[in-house]
Amino acid sequence: MTAASVRTWLLRAWVTLVFGFLMLPVVVIALASFSRTSYLTVPPKGLTLAWFAKVLGDAEYVHAIVFSLLLALMATAGSVGAGVAASYALIRRRVAGAAGVAALLNAPLVFPGVVVGVALLQFYAMVHLNGTRLGLALAHMVITVPYVVRAVTASLQGIDPEIEHAARVLGASGPVAFFTVTLPLIRPGVVAGALFSFIVSFDNVPVSIFLLGAGQMTLPVKIFTAIEYGVDPSIAAISTMLIVLTGLGLAVAERWIGFHRFV
Amino acid sequence: MRSGSGWRLLAPALLLLAVAFVAPVGLMVPTSVRPYVPLVGITGGFTARHYTRLLTDSYYLEIIGRTLVLGLTVTGATLLLGYPVAFFLARTRSRWRNWLTILVVFPLMLNLVVRTFGWIALLAQNGLVNQALQAMGLVDGPVKLLFNFAGLLIGLTHIFLPFMVLVLIGAIQNIPRDVEDAARVLGASWGGAFLRVTLPLSAPGILSGSILVFVLTISALVTPRLLGGPTYQVMSTLIYDEFLQRLNWPAGSAQSLLLTAMVLALIYVSGRLARRTGASA
Repeated sequence: MTAASVRTWLLRAWVTLVFGFLMLPVVVIALASFSRTSYLTVPPKGLTLAWFAKVLGDAEYVHAIVFSLLLALMATAGSVGAGVAASYALIRRRVAGAAGVAALLNAPLVFPGVVVGVALLQFYAMVHLNGTRLGLALAHMVITVPYVVRAVTASLQGIDPEIEHAARVLGASGPVAFFTVTLPLIRPGVVAGALFSFIVSFDNVPVSIFLLGAGQMTLPVKIFTAIEYGVDPSIAAISTMLIVLTGLGLAVAERWIGFHRFV
Repeated sequence: MRSGSGWRLLAPALLLLAVAFVAPVGLMVPTSVRPYVPLVGITGGFTARHYTRLLTDSYYLEIIGRTLVLGLTVTGATLLLGYPVAFFLARTRSRWRNWLTILVVFPLMLNLVVRTFGWIALLAQNGLVNQALQAMGLVDGPVKLLFNFAGLLIGLTHIFLPFMVLVLIGAIQNIPRDVEDAARVLGASWGGAFLRVTLPLSAPGILSGSILVFVLTISALVTPRLLGGPTYQVMSTLIYDEFLQRLNWPAGSAQSLLLTAMVLALIYVSGRLARRTGASA
């Protein structure tokens, strides 16, 4: 073997090991969720779908799943609306202090999640938004809007502004030109931003955990507290469902808009 | 370009930020200097006690030190594990490249609680790692891998490795392959070309990837809480307990502002560094 081929071989071995490390917990959870035992074990002892049935028959889990989905949809709708408008203003309009505005829009991403969470806990207690769905939705919009702005500004920067000008010259009004010409062109960025928003909201613990009121529960917080109480294969089952859904979603997003370009 | 409509378009986002970010974070400043009396709560007046305790009490200093050491170690570990992977993904001509990149992204998109849960199953006393170590005869009894530094290091390295790889892929892709070839033609060995050409040229990526992972590590709540338990504390889990268990919001606010100041200072310094080296971070 030549030195070059030894190098290639070593590099591939390292890459394989690191990918193995990345996938290890995922594989372990998926396997453990099929075990007949009441404790986590890999390889699974016996095969059963009972833990999946238990989760899907558990009213608390079902409620948490529905609550998380609705919250993520609301947060995504709000942050895409506000984020696309803000990105358009930053790229296509002359705004004094645009750099400062961009930094502010990015700030919720930079600040530690736990700090945003406790700050909102205190503030909502003062203005009587504590335990409300509105407060929770606003909090989730704040933490998701930076992702929309980042993806959409990247898309807008790649589009020639003259295309929209041409539409205006040909008689289209501003909104018509935006919605029929520019928006379709930046669609991949908007879709990527919306996907990020949805995932970030659906996954969030550090902000949600401080703001959930009585009768409110998101899925990740539910799993988080369930783990703190004790580990059993039903947690592995709900985790496996999330693994499969995330994998499918990502595969679809990659085929649809080439998702890896936006990461 | 018109300017008037710019602010109108920015209004919804800025209003959202003002109400649900700027005001809440700003109001932590006055809270952090209020006295706190146990069983009574927050009282009027002014005190710097929460800050002085944070910076002098050995209990808090240990937690702050642990958080920073963890940040450094996790950054080093992700760099070591991730650089070769990023190098491979940036240079490979395989048609599987995009899908391999997506495989790096996948853990990032997967629920954080789920990923951490996997490590609980792996690192427990009777978990898979301990079973494997004992089966191979490497250790006699089970090794403690949860609720200590080792557990947090392994879990956080796994969680933040994808960020490091993705940043480094971008940086390495920007290096023209010709520069390396030129070094080889001029007589450098592969190792020499790598150490003197490729590695220095990817330094901006190493810097921004490291800052990103460090900041994420010292900010992380979920993974340290689940793998460290209520006893092995870092700054974010300390803040969590201060607000939800001990209800000492003034002390929690001071801790939150210190953590935020550390994060912002790091980002500022790295921005200055990147500008000085003429790189974009």
